[in-house]
Amino acid sequence: MDQAIKQIVIVGGGTAGWLTAAIIAAEHLVDEGQLAPNPLISILLIESPQVPTIGVGEGTWPSMRLTLQKIGISETEFIRCCDASFKQGSQFVDWQQTPSNGSASFYLHPFTLPVGVPDFNICPYWLGHRDSVSFADAVSQQAELSAAGFAPKFITTPEYSFVNNYGYHLDAGKFSQLLQRHCIEKLGVRHVADHVVSVESASDGDIAAIVTAENGRISADLFIDCSGQQSLLLGQHLQVPFLPQHQVLFNDRALAVQVPYAEAESAIAANTIATAQASGWIWDIGLPTRRGVGHCYSSAHCSDDVALSRLYEYVARTAGGKVADLLSPKKLMIKPGYHAKCLERNCMAIGMAAGFIEPLEASALALVEWSAKQIATQLPRTRQGLDLVASRINQSYLQHWQQIISFLKLHYVLSQRDDDVYWQDHRDTVPDMLKDQLSLWHEQVPSNADFRFQDQLFPAASYQYVLYGMQFNTAAYPQLKPSLKRKAHELFQQNAQRVAKLRTGLPTVRDLLIKINLYGLPPI
Amino acid sequence: MTQHVLLNSVDHHDLRVITTRGAGFGENQWFCPTFPLEFRSVQADFPIFFHKDSQTGQFFPVAIFGFSHHENLFLEQGIWDNTYWPLALRRQPFLIGQQLIKEDGVERAHRVLHIDLDHPRVSKTAGEPLFLPFGGNSQLLDDMASLLETLHHGMQDAKQLVTELLALQLLEGVTLDITLDNGQKHQMIGFYTINEDKLANLDAATLHKLQQQGYLQAIYMVLASQSNIRHLIQLKNQQLKQQQAG
Repeated sequence: MDQAIKQIVIVGGGTAGWLTAAIIAAEHLVDEGQLAPNPLISILLIESPQVPTIGVGEGTWPSMRLTLQKIGISETEFIRCCDASFKQGSQFVDWQQTPSNGSASFYLHPFTLPVGVPDFNICPYWLGHRDSVSFADAVSQQAELSAAGFAPKFITTPEYSFVNNYGYHLDAGKFSQLLQRHCIEKLGVRHVADHVVSVESASDGDIAAIVTAENGRISADLFIDCSGQQSLLLGQHLQVPFLPQHQVLFNDRALAVQVPYAEAESAIAANTIATAQASGWIWDIGLPTRRGVGHCYSSAHCSDDVALSRLYEYVARTAGGKVADLLSPKKLMIKPGYHAKCLERNCMAIGMAAGFIEPLEASALALVEWSAKQIATQLPRTRQGLDLVASRINQSYLQHWQQIISFLKLHYVLSQRDDDVYWQDHRDTVPDMLKDQLSLWHEQVPSNADFRFQDQLFPAASYQYVLYGMQFNTAAYPQLKPSLKRKAHELFQQNAQRVAKLRTGLPTVRDLLIKINLYGLPPI
Repeated sequence: MTQHVLLNSVDHHDLRVITTRGAGFGENQWFCPTFPLEFRSVQADFPIFFHKDSQTGQFFPVAIFGFSHHENLFLEQGIWDNTYWPLALRRQPFLIGQQLIKEDGVERAHRVLHIDLDHPRVSKTAGEPLFLPFGGNSQLLDDMASLLETLHHGMQDAKQLVTELLALQLLEGVTLDITLDNGQKHQMIGFYTINEDKLANLDAATLHKLQQQGYLQAIYMVLASQSNIRHLIQLKNQQLKQQQAG
């Protein structure tokens, strides 16, 4: 049991596999851009040439900026190679109520935290102004600016720095190609294109080796399962139970299409646009060369044909009927849920091999980054150490999944939509923990004290943006200190002034991307 | 307003250009672009820093004349004529344009001389003529043409210098906090200079390469020029004193 961890084998390429390889390699094989002369560990990635990648447009969180910077990819190169654009948050359309002729409701969940965070929770001071200004507009400069299509930075802003916080929209296929190239050429990761045919156990139950079609038996001290929904090692071989979540989050199908722009210079949306449907919702992601649009729905509530007609209707409405006629949709099956552990014996699952849920808050890549970072920074020297680290990582992993499920559910249960039983079914299946939180939030605004663990993926601010975007009613506070009311007022005013100033200076997303293609972003 | 046109001896036969320096001729700027071959002359009078073009985000070296927009302290203190005259200012009202010419059926871009007809240096009565009475270019025009050629190559060279500096991570941001005699504080942000720690740690091969390119000298000229900030502060203090007295 006290054998050293030297050889790490990652099973599966795609974004999860290559991103994991890059994060571990950057931590252990590289210093200041130079490969370590005598690294203690080696990393091998096995990718089957027979398994196609899913390859639909994807969204990332702002954490991806730090991840890319850490693994040593220039932002200019990343944007140019991956058909990437900036994502400043999510815009939720028609979630609050069923749209009736011409009246649409929408709100934003921006990536920028409210003014005052972390010292001052400004939310109670906004409650009194809720009829005149939306929460997101009052507390963040990003809501109005991103909805108007402004970029989150200037051409003079250094790589990975920002005026307004952002993540990315990107072409997942191109992203994994860039990561693969970078891992092999710069980070010392070895690559084998081969198909895994079986898994061999050691006498103690650990995974001893995987057996491949061309290269035979490949042993390792630590296996990372990035094999996607099939969960080859963690699920199939080690039999870690899968905890299905379709009883809480019903969506289990998606139909995805790529929609061309009317013109090469058409405006690019600065947020993911998520438009609620009768039994699901439609994502709309703007890349520089095309949009990625998909309908995510519940097969229990809606047939594939009806889902497809709703997707066509949306595309026809936003891009024209002619465009809609040319689409060739790709169907994806989602098995909502996660495995009870991500780290079992000498195997860690990352990405869809660990779990998957609808992309409503684009949590998939964020979880890949989080998981890879955990194992990279806590990587024990010996197999024995792995068991100690595993219990810690598994606990946080479970907490993250529980929070993701609960936070996504929040988007549905506050809706007043009544155009399909789907929405009533959501309101009838509120998990107990969320029920308790909602009754508390009727009396007081969400604060970080409401969460039992510190390192949560969604801070209180995210709950505030969604709750008040959905017109949730928290009673006004009977007493607020006059000095803090003045402070809040000042922060509201400064925010409005910054918005007015930035409106006249920031480029549009399209303009900034054109300039990045011409000149690149400055490194400092 | 500017009106850039291709210079020609027919339409512009009677044009003259005023060649003296001064605020009226657009020299009331707080910095102007410069380039490595000019650094030795520039650093005798002005600090040299790097600055980003607001439209492209690209770095370029600049000679500094003041602490805020339109403040040229040398001009305002009457010593402008005694300083080095940077080519980027001396070229006015001329500029380089591009013309596409077909040569053996292939289109090539040629550099041609343009003039800004709205520039205050352009006149029909004062200054020096551009064309001789019976045809041919005046000495001034020939000098300007070669100055612009030097400037063009200088700007290309400056670009190359910046590329090298960035690749070696030799540029770093500076924030200049300046306190004047009357207690007034100025902060200059958005300027960059050489990172001396990184410079001190360059290996022999890299230093040799920089030296061969002529950039090692340029780097030390930039560092040496920093002492001119003291002179700028002196000029500013002098100006404040005069304003108080006046």
